[in-house]
Amino acid sequence: MSKFGTVYIQYVKNYYRSRSFYLMLFLISIISIMMIYFSFKYVNNLPKFFGSSSIPIQIKEALFYFLWTLVLLYVPVFAAVFFGSPAISSEIENKTAYFIFPLPINRYKLYMGKFLAACTVSVIIMMIYLIAEVGTLSYLFHSLPTIYFYYSFILLILFILAMTSITFMISAIFNKNTYAYITVLLIYYIVFYVGSFIIELLYRIDPLYILSDAASVIERAYMNINTENFFSTPSLSPVPFADIIFSALIMIIYFIASFAIGLILFERKEVS
Amino acid sequence: MEIFMNSLTKKYGKITALNNINLNIKGQGCVGLLGPNGAGKTTMLKLITNIIKPTHGGVQINGINVSENPEKGLNFVGSLIEQPEFYTYLTGNEILDFTRKIKGIGKEDFKNKIGDIINTTQISTFIDRKTGSYSRGMKQRLALAVAMIGDPEIIILDEPTFGLDPKGMKDIRTLISNLAKTKLILLSTHLIYEAREICDRTIIINNGIIEHDSNMADNKFLLKITLDSPERSIVSGKIKNYAINGNEIIVEKYNDYENYEIIEDLINQGIKVKYVEQFDNLEDVYISIIKKNKVNI
Repeated sequence: MSKFGTVYIQYVKNYYRSRSFYLMLFLISIISIMMIYFSFKYVNNLPKFFGSSSIPIQIKEALFYFLWTLVLLYVPVFAAVFFGSPAISSEIENKTAYFIFPLPINRYKLYMGKFLAACTVSVIIMMIYLIAEVGTLSYLFHSLPTIYFYYSFILLILFILAMTSITFMISAIFNKNTYAYITVLLIYYIVFYVGSFIIELLYRIDPLYILSDAASVIERAYMNINTENFFSTPSLSPVPFADIIFSALIMIIYFIASFAIGLILFERKEVS
Repeated sequence: MEIFMNSLTKKYGKITALNNINLNIKGQGCVGLLGPNGAGKTTMLKLITNIIKPTHGGVQINGINVSENPEKGLNFVGSLIEQPEFYTYLTGNEILDFTRKIKGIGKEDFKNKIGDIINTTQISTFIDRKTGSYSRGMKQRLALAVAMIGDPEIIILDEPTFGLDPKGMKDIRTLISNLAKTKLILLSTHLIYEAREICDRTIIINNGIIEHDSNMADNKFLLKITLDSPERSIVSGKIKNYAINGNEIIVEKYNDYENYEIIEDLINQGIKVKYVEQFDNLEDVYISIIKKNKVNI
């Protein structure tokens, strides 16, 4: 097996045995169970909730898809924070760098192996939720996932790659895990969200080039609804394909740029 | 087996931890790196093992620049730097197997040699436990086992007896002495007696520069002879130099002569010798260097 493969397997092992993994597993299980419970409980009560005698099945289905996919946008962020934020800083803080750096292996192989391991465990966590989602909605609405689900899944993978890549880059800046955790959360929830809000307010455009906005396409692709229109005038117009492509490209750019910067920082990382 | 340092310099901001070191360490044997805390010993070892990068100059191991080609250069090296930690959710066995794979050692070859390493480092009782539950001493032993995997021709050890009980310390010193018969060992320590016991060559480093570099055989051997009564002078052709202080004489002998021959000379002069103690002047050299330059790192 190649050195890269060896590093990947070791880090996957270390991740899936870690407390962070079990905590994420616990969280995703609780969320999934709650979503299943609410889906079954409220599927027939929606008309009452909206004060109408009946609502079309497509709207009902779209609402449930919306609720499930809304969660889908937040879980990769938490997974990336849990697995990615301490990825590099912990090597310094926990002194494992003294073991790993003197080994005869190029650093980029270490970085890539660990990155791929963190993405793998994030995808495992997401798969649990996705299986619960698809299973529940298929049972309730007697429909199998359409091609849009697979688009959404690919976009979700891109989002996990981009998010994990950003957390690795930030982790490579710091020597303390706490700083890395805080900075990632600040960047995602303050810089991205507030930035997006201000741009929307000032220029009346949806800034898809901000990662959090670009990621919203996961939900829109899955529902195949242009949510912007849906909330103003509840119509079921499909998400423009150009939006899917553009958002995917944005996530790829975030992934490549932050991965490259993180790698350069890691190559220069010192334990002093 | 060779470690070559060329104008090796490491700066942390305004602080120069290592200043223009030119050093060649070649052949089997144990080379002791002595110096007070903050002298630059660990910085030097970190540079050799690519944990940090030089500000200027470089380190070559068997002709390969370590920071440019760590995958090739570090293949000759096993190391124990500071007090390493391991991935807490992996067992000692998994750590050793991971190291094996990174060093590109075949399973069969590993199987044949790992038993010896486990026995020598005495890690068999806890090797199947996750390293998160290890004590300081257990981690130190595992780190030593990691350093020995692949039978590297160069072993870099940074205070390897740290955290061990007296028996453990003795065992490790014996192990290093045995390894030094066929390998090049670079041992950093602040214990002079440890260097004296194990090393063939000692390098004293202080304030980031090499202050002293000598073979142990070249160190002047001194005798401290305590007499029954004070003497004014002694005569012996086997003595290079001496100093009398009351009934105590410090003798610097010629290396060609044994201690008993000098004592015989004194007894022949009617001098009554109470007891004799041999020591080298490494400690004096060390202390004089430290006193001369106050450590400011």
